[in-house]
Amino acid sequence: MAQEAAATNRQEAGVEQEDYTLRDSLRLLARLIKPYRRLALATAVALIFDMTGMLYVPTELSAMINAALSPNGSTDLLVHGVRMLVASICGSGGAITAIYLASKLAANVGRDMRMAVYEASLAYSGSDFERFGTGSMITRTLSDANVVQQTLAMGIIMILPVPVMSVIAVGLAFSIDAVMGWLLLTVTLAVVAVSVVTVKVSAPIFTRLQAFIDRMNVRLRETITGVRVVRAFGREEVAKHELDRTFSDYADNAIRVNLMFSTADSLTFFLMNGVEVLVIWLGADRVGTHAMQIGSITALIEYAMLIMFFYMMAQFAMLSVPRALACLGRASQVVDLAPEVGDPATPAVLGEGGAGERASAHAEVARFDHVSLRFHDADEDTLHDLDFSLRRGETCAIIGNTGSGKSTIAKMLLRFHDVTAGRLLFGGVDVRELTQADLRARISYVPQKAWLFSGTIAENLRHGDAYATDEHLWHAVDTAQGAFVHELPEGLATRVSQGGTNFSGGQRQRLAIARALVRRADLYIFDDSFSALDFKTDAALRHALKDELKDAAVLIIAQRVSTIAHADQIVVLNEGEVVGVGTHEQLMEECPTYRAIADSQARKEESHV
Amino acid sequence: MSSENERVQVGDARGDERRAAQVAAQTAAQAAATEEVEVPADALGTAWRLWEAAAGMRWRLVVAALSAVGFVVFSLAAPAYSAYLLDLLWGRIQAMFERGEGFVVTMETGGREIVIYLVIWTIAWVFYTVQAMVMSSFAERLNLSLRNRIAAKLERLPLRYYDARQPGDTISRATNDLDKVSEVLQRGVLQLIIAVLMLTGAVIMMARYNLLLTSVYVFFMLLSFAATKVIAARTLSIASARQAAVGKLTSSVEEAYSGRAVIKAFGREQASAAEMRAAAEELARTSTIADSLTNAAGPAIRFLGRIALVIIGMMAGGMLVAGRLTVGVFQAFFQYVNTASEPLTQMSMTINMLQGALAAAERVFRLLDEEEVEPDPAQPAELPRNVEGRVAFEHVRFGYEAKKPLMRDVSLVAEPGQKVAIVGATGAGKTTLINLLMRFYEIDGGRITLDGVDTRRLTRADLRRQFGMVLQDAWLFEGTIAENIAYGCPGASRDEVVAAAKAAHVDFFVHTLPQGYDTMLSGDAESISQGQRQLLTIARAMLCDPAILILDEATSSVDTRTEQAIVRAMEALMYGRTSFVIAHRLSTIVDADLILVMDHGNIVEQGTHEELLAADGAYAELYNSQFS
Repeated sequence: MAQEAAATNRQEAGVEQEDYTLRDSLRLLARLIKPYRRLALATAVALIFDMTGMLYVPTELSAMINAALSPNGSTDLLVHGVRMLVASICGSGGAITAIYLASKLAANVGRDMRMAVYEASLAYSGSDFERFGTGSMITRTLSDANVVQQTLAMGIIMILPVPVMSVIAVGLAFSIDAVMGWLLLTVTLAVVAVSVVTVKVSAPIFTRLQAFIDRMNVRLRETITGVRVVRAFGREEVAKHELDRTFSDYADNAIRVNLMFSTADSLTFFLMNGVEVLVIWLGADRVGTHAMQIGSITALIEYAMLIMFFYMMAQFAMLSVPRALACLGRASQVVDLAPEVGDPATPAVLGEGGAGERASAHAEVARFDHVSLRFHDADEDTLHDLDFSLRRGETCAIIGNTGSGKSTIAKMLLRFHDVTAGRLLFGGVDVRELTQADLRARISYVPQKAWLFSGTIAENLRHGDAYATDEHLWHAVDTAQGAFVHELPEGLATRVSQGGTNFSGGQRQRLAIARALVRRADLYIFDDSFSALDFKTDAALRHALKDELKDAAVLIIAQRVSTIAHADQIVVLNEGEVVGVGTHEQLMEECPTYRAIADSQARKEESHV
Repeated sequence: MSSENERVQVGDARGDERRAAQVAAQTAAQAAATEEVEVPADALGTAWRLWEAAAGMRWRLVVAALSAVGFVVFSLAAPAYSAYLLDLLWGRIQAMFERGEGFVVTMETGGREIVIYLVIWTIAWVFYTVQAMVMSSFAERLNLSLRNRIAAKLERLPLRYYDARQPGDTISRATNDLDKVSEVLQRGVLQLIIAVLMLTGAVIMMARYNLLLTSVYVFFMLLSFAATKVIAARTLSIASARQAAVGKLTSSVEEAYSGRAVIKAFGREQASAAEMRAAAEELARTSTIADSLTNAAGPAIRFLGRIALVIIGMMAGGMLVAGRLTVGVFQAFFQYVNTASEPLTQMSMTINMLQGALAAAERVFRLLDEEEVEPDPAQPAELPRNVEGRVAFEHVRFGYEAKKPLMRDVSLVAEPGQKVAIVGATGAGKTTLINLLMRFYEIDGGRITLDGVDTRRLTRADLRRQFGMVLQDAWLFEGTIAENIAYGCPGASRDEVVAAAKAAHVDFFVHTLPQGYDTMLSGDAESISQGQRQLLTIARAMLCDPAILILDEATSSVDTRTEQAIVRAMEALMYGRTSFVIAHRLSTIVDADLILVMDHGNIVEQGTHEELLAADGAYAELYNSQFS
C-alpha cells in the first residue's frame, strides 16, 4: 500500500506523498458505493444463484449416476436431466446477471468518482490546485477512476464468490462423507495458502513493473520532445543508452512477472492432478466400505476443481486491489481538501454596476487596503502591504520582474487567492463577504496564457456573455484587432481546437481579449496579454481599448514600458512590494526600479532615434 | 450401470480453470484501456518479419511448439486410460461386493493403475510447464530487441519525422503496441495451436466411439462458434464506442484543467460540470455494456456447453441402459466432450487478439522502416581546432515539402564574432534558418559553409559541437538540476555548473530549492516556472562555451530586466563568437551587426539597424509602429 502510493507519486514533485491512509481510501469507496446499495444487493443475490446453480449441477449428476446404478435406475434419467437443465439455466442466468449488475455498479462508481474529483477541483483556489498540478489532477480524474472501476467490477465477479463457494462446497462434501469433507477442507486451506503467498510475492513485483512502465514513457517522451537539444549537444548515444537501460529494466521485471504467473499456473495444474488422483483413490476406498456411493466421486472432484478455480481467479483480481486502493487514496486527497477560498454564509450584495454611465467617473472600483499574501507553505509574503486603488475610467498598470507577484494581484482580484493580511475591497465591500460568482461577474479577465476551448469562435466569445448578439461579438473582435477573423471562410463559426492550438499565439491572445470585451464589466484585467503581439498591433489595440473601456476600471499587467507608459497610474512591484506608484513621468523621476526597467528597454532606441 | 462419468466434469473444470484465470489476467492487464481490434494489412508478411526479428531465440519457439504437441498428445491419451482405470476399479469393487466383502485400494487392487494415470497427467503437466516457461521469456526478449532497435532508430530519424507527429504516437508504438505483441505471443499463439489440435483430436476420438452423439456435439460446437462470433462482433463495436467516450472525456478533462482560470473567471463552473457529467455518463453507459459483454462471453458460451452436456448425458444414459453403449465408451466420450469444449470458448477471442497484435506489430515495423537521415560522409572534412565562426548561406533553397518550396534563394554571411538578429512574423522562416544551420533539415540546393567548409561534408556531431543553442521551449529532462545544466558537458565540475548558473542568473533561484543543485526535476515539474526553465537552459548553453550561439526566442518568457542581465552575460559570452538571435524585443535587435528581416521563408532585407531604417522598408515600418 505504502509502496504503491510512493511509486505512483514519485513523479509528482511538490505533492505531499502518501498523505492518505487506508481509512481514507475505504471511506471514499463507501461513500461512492452508498447510493447503489440496492444494486449491490441485487448483484449479491445474482451471485448466490450463480454459485448454487454451479454446485447443483454436479450434485445432481452424481445423484443421476447413483440412481442409474441402482436396480430400478433408468426411469429417473429424464427427471435428473431436467433438474440439471434448470440448474444450468439458473446458474448461467445468475452469472450473466451478476456480471451485468457488477459492470453497471462499477461504471456508476467510476463516473461518480470522476465527477467528485472534478467538482471538488472547481471549488479550488489557485494554490489548492497547484498542490496537485494539472498532470496529476488529470491522472486522478481519468486513469485512477478507471483503475477503481475495473478493479471493483473484477472484485465483485471474482473475489466476492470465493468465501460463499468454499463454505457451500465444503459443506456439501461433509454431507456426502466426513472423510471426503476433511479432504476438501484441507485442499481449500492449501489453496488459500498458495493464494496468499502468490499475492504477497507478486504485489510488490507488480508495483515495480508499473513504475518501470512509467519510466519507459517518461524517457521516451523526453527523448522525442527534446530531440533538437539531444542532437544539438550530440548526445544521441547517451539518449539511446538511457532508453535501452529502461527497456532492459522493464524486460527483466516483465519476465519475472511472467515466470511467476506461469509458475502459479503450472502449480495449480499440478495440484489439480494430485487432488483428482487423491479423490479417486480415497473415494474408491470409501465406496469399498459402503461409506458413500460411487457417483459421489464425480461431485467431489467437481467441488474441488471449482474451489481451485475461484481461488485462482480471486488471486488475479487481488493483484490490482492495492493499486486501486492507492488510486482511491489519491482521489480522496482531492475530494477531502477543504478549499482555501469559500463563499460566506450570508453574502453581501453589490450595488448596481456594470453599466458605466450610472456610476460616477473616477469612483473607486477596487481597493487594495494594506494587502499581504503569503502562501501556506511559504516563509515570506509573496505580496506585501499593497495599498492602491483601481478607479472607473482610469487605467492602472503593474510592472515588475518575473516573480515579483504581478499575476498574483490579478488572481487576488478574482479571488483565486485570498489575502492573508489587510483587506481587498470591491465596490466598497470586502471581497470575502461576496460570493465568488457575484464578484467574478463584475470582472472581465484576459489570462496570461490565452486559453481557448474547443468549439467555435462564437462559442468561446460567448463565455463573456452568453446572450451577446453576433454584432456585439464582431465589435469585440474588431476592437481586439482580430481582423484575421474576417478572413476566415467561416468567420465566427470557425472551429477552435482544444486550447486554441489552430491559431497562432498572437491570434489566440486577440481572441482572448475579444472574449473579455464581450462582457460588460466594472473591471477589465489584462494579465500580460499583449506579449505575443507585435509592436504595431499592440499600439493599435491599446488605442482601441481606450475608447471602448472608458467607463470601466482597467488593470494592465505588462512587461513592456511602451505598453503602459500612458496609464493613469503605474504600480511598480519589486519582490512582492510596491516600490513606486505614479505616472510614467513621475516614476522616471522618482523610482529607480522603474527607471532601470525603462532604461533597459529604451536605452538602445533613444541612442539611435 | 456406470460410475464412469464421474470424469464428466473433471476435464471441464481443469480447462475452464486455467483458461478463465488467463482471461482474468488479460482483463486485468487491459483494465486501463480497451483497444479496438484492427486488422493487419499484411498478416503473413508481418508474421514473417517477427520471425526474422526473433533470430537467436527461435529455438525457444521450437521447444515451446514441440512441448505443446506433447501436451496435446498426453492430454488426449489420458481419457482413454481413465476409461480403462475406472472400468477396472468398478469391476473389482462390484466383484468384492458380490462376495460380500469390502474393497480397499492397494497397489495390487488398482493403485498401480491410478499411479500410471497420475504419471500420464504429470507428463502432460511437464510439457505444459516447459511451454509456458519458455514462452514467458521469449515474448519479452523479442520485445526488448525490437525496443532496442526503436531506440537506435529514434536517433537516426530526421527531424522531419518528429515535426510531423505527436510524440504520443511514437511512444505508443514502443510501449502499447509491443505490449500487445508480447501478450499474444505469451498467451495467444501456442494456445491457438493447442486449441486447434485439441479440438480436432478430441472430435476424432469421439467419432470413433459414437457418431450420433458426436453429431449432437458438433451441432452445439457450431452453435458456440456462431455465438462467439456474434458476441465478438458486438464487443468490437461497443469497444470502439467506449473508446470514443474515453477520448471525449479525456479531452474534456484536459481542457477543463488547463483552462480552469478562464472557467472560474467567467463563472462557468456549472456549465463545465454539466459538460463533464455528460461525457462521464456516456463513458459509464458504454463501459457498462462493454464490460458486461466482455465478461459475460465466457459464461454464455459455457452455458451452451452445459446444455450440450445435459442432452448428451441423457441420450447416452438411455443408450447405456439399453445396452447400446458400453460403460467405458460412455465415460471416455464425456471426457473428450470436455476436452474439446474448452478451447472452443477461447478460439475466436484469440483470433481477434492475434489480428490486433499483428496490426500493432505492423505499426512498429512501419516506424522501423521510416526513412533515416543521410549517413555522415565516409571521409568527413575536418574543422580547424579553433573554429572562427564564419557562417555563410549561398543561394540556399529549401522546402519542408518537396512540392512547396519555402526558401527560394537565401544568401547571407555572418563574419566571426558578429551578432546576427533575425526578425519576422511567425512562420516567416526564422526557425527554418536555424534548422538548416544545425542540419536538422537538409537543404535542397545551394550550400551552407562554416569557416568555408560545406557543412554537408562534416559529420553532424562535429558541426553541432560548434553551436550552443537555447530553444524557445525549454527542454529539461528527468534528472537533477546540475545534470540538466551539465547536459552538453557531462564532465563539468560542480564549480563550473554553479558558475554557469550564476552567469545565467539562476543560481539564486536554485538555492531556494530544498536540495539546491541536486533537486530532481520531473518532466512537467510545475514548481519551476517557464522563465526559470529557460534560465536553466541558458546556463546549459553557457557551460559548453561553443563557437557559435543560437538563441531562439529563448528569453521571451523572462521579464525585461532579467533579460537585460542575461543579455549582458551573453554579450560577454558572445565576445569573439558568432551569434544568431531570434527575438522580438528591439533591445536585442538594435545593436546587432546584421539584421535579417524574413518573410515567407525568405530574407527580404538585411543590414544594420541604421541601414535598414534609412532604407525605410519593412523593418522601418515594424520599428516605427511601436511609437505610434
